Amino acid sequence: MPAAKRDLLPGTLDMLILKTLSVQSMHGYGIAQHVGRLSHDVLQVEEGSLYPALQKMRQKGWVHAEWRQSPNNQRARYYTITPAGRKRLGAEEAGFAALVAAIARVMRHA
Amino acid sequence: MREFIARLRDLLRRDRLDAELKEELRFHREQLERDADATAGDAAVHASRRLGNATAIREEARDHWSLPWLDLLQQDLRYALRGLRRSPGFTAAVVLTLGLGIGANAAMFNVLDQLMFRPYPYLRDPATAHRVYLRMEGRESLLDREEFPYTRYLDLANWTTSFSQTAAVHQATLAIGVGDAARERPVEAVSASFFDFFDARPAAGRFFVPAEDTVPVGAPVVVLSYAFWQAEFGGRDVTGQSMQVGDLQCTIIGVAPLGFVGVADGSAPVLWMPITTFGGGATHDYWLRYNWDWTEMIVRRKPGIPEAQANADLTRAFARSRDAARTLHAWMPRVDKTRPIAIAGSMRSAAGPYPGLEARTLTWVSGVAVVVLLIACANVANLMLARALRRRREIALRVALGVTWRRLAAQFLTESVVLAILGAVAGIAIAQWGGASLRGFFLPADAAVDVVTDWRTLALAGAAAIGVGLITGLAPLLFAGKSDLTSTLKSGAREGTYHRSRLRSALLVWQGALSVALLIGAGLFVRSLGRVREMRLGYDVDPVVMVKWERRAARSSAAEQAAVQQRLLETAQAIPGVEHAAWTDVVPMEGTSTIPLFVAGLDSVNKLGRFTYQVVGPDYFRTIDTRILRGRQFTDQDRAGTPRVMVVSEGMASVLWPGEEALGRCIRVGADTMPCTEVIGIAENAVHDPSRDQPLRYYLPLDQFEKNGGRLLLLRAHGDPAAMSETARRRLQALMPGQEYLTAQPLAVLVQEQRRSWQIGAAMFVAFGVLALIVAAVGLYGVIAYNVAQRMHELGVRVALGAQGSDVARLVVGEGVRLGAAGVVVGCALALAAARWVQPLLFHESARDPIVFAAVAALLLAVALAASSVPAVRAMRADPNTVLRAE
Repeated sequence: MPAAKRDLLPGTLDMLILKTLSVQSMHGYGIAQHVGRLSHDVLQVEEGSLYPALQKMRQKGWVHAEWRQSPNNQRARYYTITPAGRKRLGAEEAGFAALVAAIARVMRHA
Repeated sequence: MREFIARLRDLLRRDRLDAELKEELRFHREQLERDADATAGDAAVHASRRLGNATAIREEARDHWSLPWLDLLQQDLRYALRGLRRSPGFTAAVVLTLGLGIGANAAMFNVLDQLMFRPYPYLRDPATAHRVYLRMEGRESLLDREEFPYTRYLDLANWTTSFSQTAAVHQATLAIGVGDAARERPVEAVSASFFDFFDARPAAGRFFVPAEDTVPVGAPVVVLSYAFWQAEFGGRDVTGQSMQVGDLQCTIIGVAPLGFVGVADGSAPVLWMPITTFGGGATHDYWLRYNWDWTEMIVRRKPGIPEAQANADLTRAFARSRDAARTLHAWMPRVDKTRPIAIAGSMRSAAGPYPGLEARTLTWVSGVAVVVLLIACANVANLMLARALRRRREIALRVALGVTWRRLAAQFLTESVVLAILGAVAGIAIAQWGGASLRGFFLPADAAVDVVTDWRTLALAGAAAIGVGLITGLAPLLFAGKSDLTSTLKSGAREGTYHRSRLRSALLVWQGALSVALLIGAGLFVRSLGRVREMRLGYDVDPVVMVKWERRAARSSAAEQAAVQQRLLETAQAIPGVEHAAWTDVVPMEGTSTIPLFVAGLDSVNKLGRFTYQVVGPDYFRTIDTRILRGRQFTDQDRAGTPRVMVVSEGMASVLWPGEEALGRCIRVGADTMPCTEVIGIAENAVHDPSRDQPLRYYLPLDQFEKNGGRLLLLRAHGDPAAMSETARRRLQALMPGQEYLTAQPLAVLVQEQRRSWQIGAAMFVAFGVLALIVAAVGLYGVIAYNVAQRMHELGVRVALGAQGSDVARLVVGEGVRLGAAGVVVGCALALAAARWVQPLLFHESARDPIVFAAVAALLLAVALAASSVPAVRAMRADPNTVLRAE
C-alpha cells in the first residue's frame, strides 16, 4: 500500500528542487518525478508550485535555465544549479536539519 | 540587486517568457499523458486534473516577471486617470491653476538663470573666476564701482598674489564699417590674457598675443565673433583683411568659436579688440592717471586660496592704489576716510555684491512668482480636500475592506502628482508664450534662451511639479487619517454632513492674505512709477533730438573741427521746426566726469561732494529747458580769450556757499594757479539718475574749454522727434567730411532706459497681483459654493421654518466676507513686516502707504462679497420642498 500522501512542509520546496538539480540537470517534469520516486510518492511536488518556484530561483540566480533536446527528441527546458544555488542549498539543508533536530528534542522530552 | 535586475529584464520580455512557460507546461502534460498511458483510463482528463489550472500557474509565474511596486504604481496611475477623467471640471480647474503658478515660476527662473546663475559659455572652472567690485564710502552714500581706471587695474593686478590670471574688460559701442554700411555695434575691449579664462579655441586664425596688448597703445587687431563672421562675411576666410572699427583701421586676426560671448551681459559683442588699443585711441594717459572710470576686471583665484583671503588681498591692493592715486591727484580723499573694500564676486553683475536696481527688482519679482505658486497650491489643496470630502463614503468603505493607510496615501499622492505634472506641462506652455515679453524686457534679443529648450528650467518645472503634487496631496491625506469610519458609513447625505473644515478655512485665509500682500506690493510700485514719471527732471527730453558725431580716421586739427561744428550748428538751426540747437559733451543720463576745483576759503572742495561738469554751447539751456534761476546763460561772447565763466547748479551753489550769493564768485578750474572762472548763472538742478540724486553740476562754455569736447548736438524741435531725427541726420550728414558720420535719435529713448526698473517692477507686480487675486477669488468661490451645496438641506429646513431669502443670503455672504476680512488682516500684517525690504525699490513712496493698504483691503472685501453672492443667490432660490425630500 502506498504511504499516505503528505503535503510538503512550507519552504522546503526550494531545498528539494535544488537538491534534485545538484545531482543532475533536468527539466521540470523530471524534477517532479524524481522527488516523487525517491520519497515513494509521499511527497508530491505540485506542478502549480513547481514552476513559479523555478521562476523565482532563476531570478535569484540559484538555477540557470536553457532549452535542450530531451532523450526522445522533444524540446524541453532544462534547469542547472549554479554555484550560488549550491551555496543556498547548503544553507537550507543546515537550517532544515537544525529545525528537525529541535522538533525531535521537543518530542523526545515532552 | 541581482534579483532587481533580473526582474527588470523579465519585465521587458514578459511575453516571450509566457510563451516559453506555456510550452514547458505543454511538454510536462505530454509526459504525464505518456506515463499515465499504462494505468488510468482517460489519460487527458487525468493529466489535466493533475496539472491543475495551467492558466493559474502562468498567472502566478507572471507575478515574478515584474517589480511589485511598478505594478502598484501602474494600478494607481490607471485609477487616478480614471478618476480625473470622470470629473473634468475639477481636473481643468486644478491644471489651470497649477499651470499658472508653475508657469510663472518657470518664466521667472528662465530669466533669472540667464542673468545671474548661468556661467558664461566656455568659461573654464567657473567657481574660481570672479569679477572685481570696489566700494568706497563717499560723502553721503556708498560708492560702488565695477568700472575703474586702467591704471587701477594694473595696480590690482601687480600688487596682489592670490590670482593666477587677471584680465581687463571694457564694453563699448563702436561704429563698424564704412559709409552707409556703417553701424554701431557692441564690442569688447579686452586684455590678451582674457582668452586664457576660457576653454575656447578660435574657429579661425588666432587670439591676441600679449605683445599686441601693450601700453601705451596696443596693436590694431580684432577677433570677430562667430555670428558676426557668418552674417557679414559669409564664413569665408577673412584673416588678414582689414576693417574700420571706430576711429581705427584694424586687421582681422581670428574668429571666436560659436556661442562665445566673452563676459557680455547684454547683446553679444561682434568683435574683441585689445584694451590698450581702445584706451590708446581715446587718451594717451589712461594707464597713468586715475580720472577715467572705464575698465572692468576679472580674476581667477589660485587653487587653494579661499575667497576671504583673496578679498583681503584685493582690499590691501586697492588701498595702496588709492594712496598712489593721491600722490597724483592731491584732491582725492584719504584712504582712511573712505574705507575702500574690494571684493572678488560673482562674474555676473546681477548676482554680485552690489546688484543694480533692476537686478534687485527682478529678484523680488521672482519671490512674487513663488508666492503666486503658494497661493495656487493652497487653492488646489482646497479643491482636493473638497473632492476627498465628497468621496469619503467610498474611502471609508475601502478602509473597512482592508486597504492599508499606506496604499490610500499612495493613491492620493499619485493622483496629486499626476495633476501636478499635467499642470507643469501647461505651465511650460504658459511660460513659453507669456514669458516672451518677460524675456524681451530683461534679456538681449539675440541671446535669450526659450523656456522649452532650456533643460535647467524644465528640470525646475519638473521638481516644482513633484513638490507641489506632494504638498497638495497632503491635504486629503490629513483628512482621510482623521475620519470616523462607522459614522461616515452609516450616514447618508443628510445627517451631520456639513463639515466646517478648519483646514479649508485656514487655507482660504492664507490665500487671501498672500493675495493682499501681493496687491499691496503692486499698488506701491504703481504709485512709485507715477512719482518717477511726474518728477521734475530739471530738463525736458521729449522734444529734443540728439545727434552724435562719430569721428573717424585722421584727426583733423582743432580749428577744422571747430569749423565743422559751426557749420553743423548753423545748418541745424536752419532746419524748419528746430527752435534751439547747442553742442554739448554729455547728455544728462550719460557718464559724468570731474576736474579738480579750487575755491577760496575751502581747503578741499571734494570733501563736500562729487562735482561733475558739462561742456555746453551757448544755447544749451534753452535747448534742453533747464531754467536759469539767477544770472545769465552763456552767449556767443563767451569765447576763448574772454574772461572765463561758468554756470553752476543750485545744489552746487548751496553746498559751496551755503546761505550766500553764489553769483560773481571765483572758482579755479583744473589747478590752483589757473585764472578765476566767474560764476555768472545759477541753473536749476538737473537729475541724471533718479535713484542717485546728484545735482552738483556745473557748466562750462564750449569755446572756452581747451579740449574740444563737443560731440553731441542737441536740437529742440516741434513735432515728432523720431521724424525730426531722420531729417536732421540726412541734412547734417551731407556736410560731414570724409568718412565721418552721424547718428541721430530722440533723447527720450535714452531716458526711457533709466525708467525701466520702475516700469518693470510695476508691471510685474500688477500682473502677478491680479493673477493672485483671480486665483484666490476662484478658490473662495469654490469653497463657498461647495459649502452651500452641502448645507442645502439645512438651509431648506431654515426656509421651511420661516427664514427669509435675505436671511439665507446674509448667512452665506457673511461667511465669505468673514473669510475675506481675515485674509485682509493677515495680508496687511505680512505687508507691513516686509516693508523694510521693499522700501529701497520704491521711489519717493513709503512702503507703508495707508492709501494703498486701504484700497487693497476694500478690493479684496469686494471680491469676497462678489464671490459669495453667486452661491448665495442659488441658496436663496432653493425650494425647500425639493431640498428636504432629496437625499
